[in-house]
Amino acid sequence: MSFEYSVTYSAENKYENPVENASWQFLIVPEDNDTQELISVDIKNSMQARSEFSQNGYGFQTIRINTKERLQKINFSVSFKLKKLSFNPFDQIPLFDIVSNYELVQSLTFKVDFEPFLRQTKYTVLPEGTENLFLFDSSISIFENLQKLNNWVYNFIHFNAGVTHVNTVLDEIIKKPEGVCQDFTHLFCALSKANNIPARYVSGYLHQGNGYFGDSQMHAWAEAYIPQVGWIGFDPTNHLLVNDNHIKVAHGKDYNDCSPLKGVVYSQGANETVHSVEVQAEQ
Amino acid sequence: MLARVANNLFWMGRYIERSEHVARYLNVNYFSSLDAPNELSQSRQFVLRSLMFFVGEPLNDNSVILKEEDILYNIGLNGDMPYSIINNVKYARENANSARDLISTELYESINKFYHFVINYSIEDFTKKGLYDFTVNITEMTAILRGKIRGTLLHDDVYAIILMGINIERATQVIRIINAKYNDAVKAKGSYGDKISHSFEWTTLLKCVESYDMMRRYYKKAPTSISTLEFLILNPDCPRSVINSINQVHKHIKDLDESKTPDKNSTAFLISKVKGEYEFKYAEEIEEDIQGFIEKILNNLVQISLKMENEFFNY
Amino acid sequence: MNPDVKKPIFSSYINNTALFDEVFNINGTAKNVYQKLFELYGNHSIQDYVQLNNKAKSSFFNQGITFQVYDKKETQEKIFPFDLFPRIIDEDEWEIIERGAIQRSKALNLFLWDIYHDKKIIKDGVVPLDLISSSANYLHQMIGVDPPGGIYNHISGTDVIKHSDGNYYVLEDNIRCPSGVSYVICNRTALKRALFGVFNHYKTHTVTNYAENLLDILESVKPKGVDVPNCVVITPGMYNSAFYEHSYLAKAMGVELVEGRDLFVENDFVYMKTIRGPIKVDVIYRRVDDQFLDPLEFRADSSLGVPGLFAAYIKGNVCLANAPGTGVADDKAIYTYMPQIIKYYLDETPILNNVHTYHCSRPDELKYVLEHIHELVIKPVDEAGGYGISIGNRLTKAEIKVVQEEIKQNPRKYIAQPIMSLSVHPTYIDDSESFEQRHVDLRTFTLLGNKKEFVLKGGLSRVALKKGNLIVNSSQGGGSKDTWVLKK
Repeated sequence: MSFEYSVTYSAENKYENPVENASWQFLIVPEDNDTQELISVDIKNSMQARSEFSQNGYGFQTIRINTKERLQKINFSVSFKLKKLSFNPFDQIPLFDIVSNYELVQSLTFKVDFEPFLRQTKYTVLPEGTENLFLFDSSISIFENLQKLNNWVYNFIHFNAGVTHVNTVLDEIIKKPEGVCQDFTHLFCALSKANNIPARYVSGYLHQGNGYFGDSQMHAWAEAYIPQVGWIGFDPTNHLLVNDNHIKVAHGKDYNDCSPLKGVVYSQGANETVHSVEVQAEQ
Repeated sequence: MLARVANNLFWMGRYIERSEHVARYLNVNYFSSLDAPNELSQSRQFVLRSLMFFVGEPLNDNSVILKEEDILYNIGLNGDMPYSIINNVKYARENANSARDLISTELYESINKFYHFVINYSIEDFTKKGLYDFTVNITEMTAILRGKIRGTLLHDDVYAIILMGINIERATQVIRIINAKYNDAVKAKGSYGDKISHSFEWTTLLKCVESYDMMRRYYKKAPTSISTLEFLILNPDCPRSVINSINQVHKHIKDLDESKTPDKNSTAFLISKVKGEYEFKYAEEIEEDIQGFIEKILNNLVQISLKMENEFFNY
Repeated sequence: MNPDVKKPIFSSYINNTALFDEVFNINGTAKNVYQKLFELYGNHSIQDYVQLNNKAKSSFFNQGITFQVYDKKETQEKIFPFDLFPRIIDEDEWEIIERGAIQRSKALNLFLWDIYHDKKIIKDGVVPLDLISSSANYLHQMIGVDPPGGIYNHISGTDVIKHSDGNYYVLEDNIRCPSGVSYVICNRTALKRALFGVFNHYKTHTVTNYAENLLDILESVKPKGVDVPNCVVITPGMYNSAFYEHSYLAKAMGVELVEGRDLFVENDFVYMKTIRGPIKVDVIYRRVDDQFLDPLEFRADSSLGVPGLFAAYIKGNVCLANAPGTGVADDKAIYTYMPQIIKYYLDETPILNNVHTYHCSRPDELKYVLEHIHELVIKPVDEAGGYGISIGNRLTKAEIKVVQEEIKQNPRKYIAQPIMSLSVHPTYIDDSESFEQRHVDLRTFTLLGNKKEFVLKGGLSRVALKKGNLIVNSSQGGGSKDTWVLKK
C-alpha cells in the first residue's frame, strides 16, 4: 500500500539593508529511496528569480536560486508531491548474531568505512565526563540497545520549543535538558557513536497523522547503522522508530550538513528567516 | 576580458587623465596669475577660489580668507580629499593592480613609479616651493604613461577600454576647465570693465589645456571667447578638443561593438548620436547659452559612461 | 665603511667549519662548482657588489614585486629580501632531488585517492585511522569523488635541506597552495640583469618554463568532453600577500586572473563574466583555500568563493587544482609516514630521506622525547609558517620544563625531530655590509598532471637572515637566493 503526500515548504527572508546579487540554496527536496518516490516539485518565489536543481557535497538534491535584483524581502514556496510506501520498521529486524555484531563494530575495517558517522562533530561532541551517560549492554542486540537509547533520550530531554537555536551544542543540552528535535537527534547520535555505533543526522518532514492539517517545521531524526540490517531510523523526539509518516530529505554528520537553507548575500546588517512546513496526506 | 577588470582599466585611464588635468590647472592658474594684466586675476584669493571651483568645491562666501598652503595641500597631496591628485594617482594604481595580468610590465612599472613619486613627495616642499616641480612632473609622467599605453599594449580590447576612459575623462575635464575659466571671466569682467569676449582668462584657459600654441598657429590672433570655444570644443584637429575626444571614443567603441547598425540602446549608438550632434554645432550657438551647453555636454558624457558600465562592466 | 678602500668581496667572510658550508671547503678554498663563480665575484669589491645589489632591489621595487607589511597607520611595501650570490646545485645532486620530489608527489597523489576512496592503507594498518578522523582538512564531501585525470596534488612544493652529512632531507611537503615560484623567476631575472657575464661561464637550466608547464598540466586535467579547455587562476584579490604571484602566473600563462565575484555557476557549469558575456571555465588553478571556495558548501561567511562551485566540481564540469581536500596530506603527522606511504603504493624505497620523527602520541616515543628535548626540535602538527616550533638546544632549563609540561598535556599535538643542521651559504648581510654564513633550505616545485610530470629545475633557496636561525619562512624574516641547476 502507498500514500500520496503533498508537502509545502515556505520561507520568508528579510534583510535589514537592501541586498543585491544574492544566492540561496535549499536542502528541502525529499530524496528518492526505497520507501519514497518524488512525483513533482513546484518552485515559486516573490522575485521571479531563476531557480535550478543541483546537488550538495553529499549528493543530495538542492534547489539554488539566484538574483541580481535589489531586494529587502523575498518569499519562497516549494511544493512537492510524493508517494510513500507504507511499511512497518519491525518487519526488517532479523535474529541478531549478537557476539559477532559487537566484534564487527570493533574491527578496523568497520571503523574506517563508517569514519564520517563515528567522528565527533561540533554538534555531537559530548562534554568531558559524559561519555558514559548511556552505556550499551553487550548481552542484548545493538538494535535493542538503540531502542533503549531512543527511549532514554526521549525521557532525558524535555521538549520545549524556543529555548534552543541552530547553534546549540550538547554541553548546554546536558546542563539544561530542554530542546527540540534537533537537540534530541544530536544527543542520540553522540551517544550511539560513543558506543561505537555509526549514527547520522536526518532532516525531513513528519506527517503528524492522517487528515491532520496544519503548520509545522522541518523535522529531524537519526539513523544508526546496525550490522545485518543497515541504516535504521530512530525518532527520539517522538519515541518512535521511523515509519511511513517520516519523509526523508537528507542526512549528514550533524545539522551542519543538513541545514535547509543557506544564503549568500553581499550586504551588511541583520537578516531574519521564517520557515514553515505543511504536510498533507491523500491516501 | 573580465567585466570587472575592464571597469578597472577604464577607470585607470580616467584617473591618469584626471590627475594630469588637475595638476595642469593648478600649475597654469597659479603661475599665470602671478603677472596677470589686471588686479583681480592677479589676486591670490581669486586664484584659490578658481582652483576650488575647478575641483568641484566652489566657495561663494567672499568673506572667508583662504589659506594658500591649505588649498594647495588639499588639491595636491591631501589623501582625505577625494579630488586630490594623490588620490587620483592612488586610484589609478589600484585599478592597474587588479588588471595587472593584462597590462604590460612596462606600463605597470611606470604607473608604479608614478605612484611612488607622488606618495613620497614631501608635503612641506610641495606647499612651500615644489608646486611647479610637482605639477610638471605629474604632467610629464602622464605623458609617459600615455606613451606606454600606446606603445606597449596590444591594440585590442584592453587598449580600447583604456582609451575610452582617457578620452571620456579628457572631454569631461576640458569642459570643466572651460566652465571654471568662463566663471572666472565673468567675475573678472565685473571688476575692471573689460569685455568678457577679450578676457585674459581665455589665454589661461588655453594654457590649462596645453592648446595655446596650437591655437595661435591656427588663428594667428589673440584668443577671444568665440575662437577659444570653437577651438577647444569643435576643432577636430585639436588633440585636446571635445570633438576630438568624442571622435576617439567613437573609434574605440567600434573595437568593442562590431555591429554595423548598433542597437538603439547600446553605448555605440549613443556615442554616434552625441558625435553627430557636435559635428554640426557652431561656436556662436554655444556662446549664446554657454552654461546650458556645458551642463548638456557633461550630462552626455556621464550618460556614455553609465551606458558603458551597464553594457560592459556590469555583467 | 670608507668608500675609498675597496675590500674584496669575501675578505671578511668567517668560515665556521662546524657548519656545512656549501661554497667553501674547510681549508677556505671554493668547492668545484663554485670555483669559477668565486673567481668572477672575486674581481669585484664589496662596494661594487652593494651597488649592484641596490640596483636590483630598486628594480624589484619599481616593478611592484613587493609584499605588504601592515603597521599601525600605513601599509608599507617591502621587497622580498634576496641577494645576488647564487646557489649552485650540480646535475648529479639535482637528479636525486628531482626523482625524489616526483616520487613523493606521486605517492601522495595515490594516498589521497585511497583515503577518499577505499582507504586500503588504513585498513591494512599502515597508517592510523586517526590521521584522517582527527584532521580538520579531511573533506567528507570528497569521498568517492574522482578528480579529473585522477590528480589531487597538481602542484606540490617540497622543502628540502642539505644536512651536515651532505645528504638531502625533506622537511615538509606543501600541497595546499605552495607559493614562491614567482620569486624564483624574479631572482633569476634580477641576477641576469645585474651579472649577465657570469652566466656565460655556467650552463644553467632555465626557470622561465614553469608557466608553460603549469598550463600544460592544467590542460591535461580538463573535464571530460572539453576540447580546448579554458583555464583561469583564481585569487583572493589584490590585498592577498601573494597577489603578485597570482598575477604573474596568470599573465605568464596568458589566462584570466579572476576573483570569486567574476565567476558564477549555472546548471552546474562555471562561467566568467566578460565584457562580451559569459564564457565557460573548465580548469581553475585556485589560490583560495578549501574553506573559502564555495560559501554554499563551506564557510558561508566568505565572499572569496563562488556559490555553487563545488557542485560543478563534483559533477565533473570543472577541474580545481589542487583538488579540494588535498590539504589533509600536508599535515606534519602524514609527513612522518611518508616512507611507509611510498613503500605501500609504489613499492619503492624513498629517494629523499625523511627526517626521523618521534610521535609524542606513542608512549615509548613520548618518553624518549621528554628525556631528550635538548637535542630535538619540537613541532606542533597543525601549525604552518614556522610557528610554535621549539629548538631544544636553544632552550634554558626552565624553558625545557615548560615545553615538557606542554607536551605532557597534549602529546598528540606534538612531534619531535633531531635538530638538523641545515647547510649554510654565503649571504650578503646589510647590517654588517659583508657576506656571512646563513642557513638555507630549498623549496622545489613539482607538477603532476594526467600522464605528465614536471619538476622546476631550480627552486627557491630560502635563507634565514637572522644569524644562527634555522627557520627560513618569509613570515619569519627569511630571504632568498637564485638557485642554479647545472646542465650535464
